[in-house]
Amino acid sequence: MRKWFIIVSLLLLAVSSVAQAQENEVKLTLAGFAVPREAYGKIIPLFQAYWLAETGQTVVFEESYLASGAQSRAVIGGFEADIVALSLEDHVTRIADAGLITTEWQNNDYNGMVSTSVAILLVRPDNPAGITNWSDVVGRGLAVITPNPATSGGAQWNAMAAYGAAYRGHVDGYSAGAEGALQFLTALYTDVLVMDADGRESFLTFERGIGDVAITYENEYYAGVNAGNGDLYEIVYPTSTILIENPIAVVDVYADKHGVREVADAFVAFTYTPEAQAIFAESGFRPPYQRVVTPSETEGEEDIVTLVPIIELDETRFPPIEDLFTIDDFGGWKEVVPTFFGDEGIFTKMITEIQG
Amino acid sequence: MKERNLSLGGILLLLVVLIYAGVLLLAPVAALVSNTFKDGFEPFWKAITDPEALNTLWLSMRLAVLASIFNALLGVMVAWVLVRHNFFGKGLLNALVDLPLVISPVIVGYVMIVLFGRTGWLKDFPIKLAFSWEGMLVLTVFVSLPFVIREIQPVLAGMGKEQEEAAYTLGASPWGTFWRIVFPAIRHALTYGIVLTLARSLGEFGAVAVIGGGTQGSTESATIYIYRSLNDRNYAGAYSMALLLGVIAILILIIMNNLRVHKRGG
Amino acid sequence: MAQAVAHRDSVSQTNNPQMLFWGLRSSVIIYLSVMIIMPLFVIGVEGLREGIDAFWTSITRPVAWSAIWLSVWTAGVMAVINIIMGTTTAYVLVRYRFWGKNLLNSLIDLPFAIPTLVTGVMLTLLYGPQTSVGKFLNDEFGIKILYSNLGIILSLLFLGYPFVIRAVQPVMMKLDASQQEAAHTLGASQFTTFRRVILPALLPAMITGGLLSFARALGEFGSIVIVSGNIPMKTQTAAVYVYAQVEGDKMASASGVSLVILLIALITTLGVDFWYKRNKRVGKKL
Repeated sequence: MRKWFIIVSLLLLAVSSVAQAQENEVKLTLAGFAVPREAYGKIIPLFQAYWLAETGQTVVFEESYLASGAQSRAVIGGFEADIVALSLEDHVTRIADAGLITTEWQNNDYNGMVSTSVAILLVRPDNPAGITNWSDVVGRGLAVITPNPATSGGAQWNAMAAYGAAYRGHVDGYSAGAEGALQFLTALYTDVLVMDADGRESFLTFERGIGDVAITYENEYYAGVNAGNGDLYEIVYPTSTILIENPIAVVDVYADKHGVREVADAFVAFTYTPEAQAIFAESGFRPPYQRVVTPSETEGEEDIVTLVPIIELDETRFPPIEDLFTIDDFGGWKEVVPTFFGDEGIFTKMITEIQG
Repeated sequence: MKERNLSLGGILLLLVVLIYAGVLLLAPVAALVSNTFKDGFEPFWKAITDPEALNTLWLSMRLAVLASIFNALLGVMVAWVLVRHNFFGKGLLNALVDLPLVISPVIVGYVMIVLFGRTGWLKDFPIKLAFSWEGMLVLTVFVSLPFVIREIQPVLAGMGKEQEEAAYTLGASPWGTFWRIVFPAIRHALTYGIVLTLARSLGEFGAVAVIGGGTQGSTESATIYIYRSLNDRNYAGAYSMALLLGVIAILILIIMNNLRVHKRGG
Repeated sequence: MAQAVAHRDSVSQTNNPQMLFWGLRSSVIIYLSVMIIMPLFVIGVEGLREGIDAFWTSITRPVAWSAIWLSVWTAGVMAVINIIMGTTTAYVLVRYRFWGKNLLNSLIDLPFAIPTLVTGVMLTLLYGPQTSVGKFLNDEFGIKILYSNLGIILSLLFLGYPFVIRAVQPVMMKLDASQQEAAHTLGASQFTTFRRVILPALLPAMITGGLLSFARALGEFGSIVIVSGNIPMKTQTAAVYVYAQVEGDKMASASGVSLVILLIALITTLGVDFWYKRNKRVGKKL
């Protein structure tokens, strides 16, 4: 019995000595979605060194990485993160709507986005099914792997990538516009074998050898390659796909409450530096894209928006996409979430009809 | 029922059971073990001595032990009242004891946030229960609540209240009656209930992930660590921790079993 | 012990435990109310927040309804298999002496000890299409365990295994040996003895254990989310659906479906309780 007391008290001692706060130390809590954990793991030490040199302050990080939607809910519910780095804009908008972000967080050149990626097709080595584009995926009895848009906000990117490509007339055999797009989406989700709860789980399912083709993200592919699994799959870029944009923001109310506004802002700014972006690129993320607006020449037509990466891309690693579109082309997440993924949404109804 | 040597029919039955238990329980565990030690013992050792991993294990153990103490004390009270007393709504209350088994942990975590979150109904509650380890403790107590109660109830019902009443008539205090009459009778069931509570608490994932926020180093439990490691392709870390949790639970079980045999013999 | 004795002396003068019991009962009721009724109340309020119509729509939506039904029938199938196999296992454990019995007895509780998340991972490690077992089953028999309802039932069987055994074991140990021997002496076969003497005595415990495992299965999430394909209307269970609704910020509908599941569990438990009590009364009359 006594031995136990000694062990327990030693452990308590160890814990309390760690917990003792040092002076001239500032604590930042970062709530991120699960995928960029490796990237932030490398960016944080760089920032700590930078901030120490700049101000003489030591920054201690508390990090939490969960599914993006769960993280958003947690912050709204009272998880006092100073910075959120989530997978889609809507999850940050919800936090702002709850009154926790009071500044114009998207008011920078990058629209508040810190990293991007594109939705891609992942096939088995040597591409046995001969998949080169969206139209090769459906109607051939192939087992498709993609996460469930209902359980994962991130998975909604995949559904919108497929829908958008067809909508814009880039899927052979399906007419451009809403009708053809819905037909393609229906054909695609008819062939889905496993709908995992989130993007990473879905990728790992494919990595374990299940399914013929996965709809996933370019950065996930590179994460897999970095983990030494590059021989298990090949990447196929469809001619048309969506630009996935991941936001970062300071949660003003919490940051002010903890008195860390300055350092939190500095960290967010730091993630846009070439050093930090190089780490994102290494992990497989593309840099933020700027929307360059060229006013249309003829009166009454819409302005032309071109997407320009803020850092020049290494094209062997991040090839340009013939037809790259964004969620804004469908009205932004504010509109897409209810019209597609709400209880009466287009996607939700479609799934019911396929299986019912 | 008397214990006997195996007859022919007994051997057949035993075989059926062994095959069933083998396929159902042992085969998956064997798959886990073989994957954990695929590259020898070293990755396992490295994974479980990783300070980050140990930290999460320490949190899980602390939660499990505290939840077990709490549930042991209150579980005995609840079981005794539910068996010995009659009051309006008892049947319903009794049926509701199993609620923590039925309800999805995600919803329970969500309920905690509705109650104790930033804009919660009880947001001025003096202890910070949302996104803290105290909140994780409350949920751990919740998910493991039925075990002690359900273990003790049948024993109490089986022994009847005659002995207790006799003790009172002879002038024993309630406290004395409890220690002399009730406790010896329920001791084994209580021990077993505590073991189950411990095991269940160690393994809880969904609810503690929702209420804790899963902050590394402070509210990350061993199961959350497993989940994170799986998603990070840190399979050695995930499988080793999974195995370790299982082994700890089985050890507790075996130690308790032996304790029981020893006491009975002495 | 000395403490207990001293305590007794001070209390025994009043010798009136009524006050103490009353206090005890009150605290138990308060405790259960806080821990159980309050969460239930919150779920109820959240589920009905948007009115009874919205609640009704949220649970009758085909995706929701099929998820509830899938949970109920897979849990039901599991409970039946579990009652049969659990009772058999308990019988072997109580009745026979064999090498390794203590070990087997300890291993029974494995499913309690292993996080359900890990259960899911173990099953994919064992039955995944790339593993030797999974490949063999698929190639030789065309059986796909993962991403099918079979996978759901299998992981539920794993979880539920200890429940029936642990409920039946103690009752079996206490079964009167003389009754059985009498039946034997009177020429009853082993099977008849089992059916006429042992089974009726065990039935309540078997059903209690089965119900408990049924209830436990209804709420299972961690292993199923990994093992089943989670395809809405096909392999998505209620717990996974609830998770999806929470993720999609549709709390009212998540609470609604949770309420239905709770209600099903409650009705089953109370129903069997009622049936059992009535049967007992009828039995006494005879």
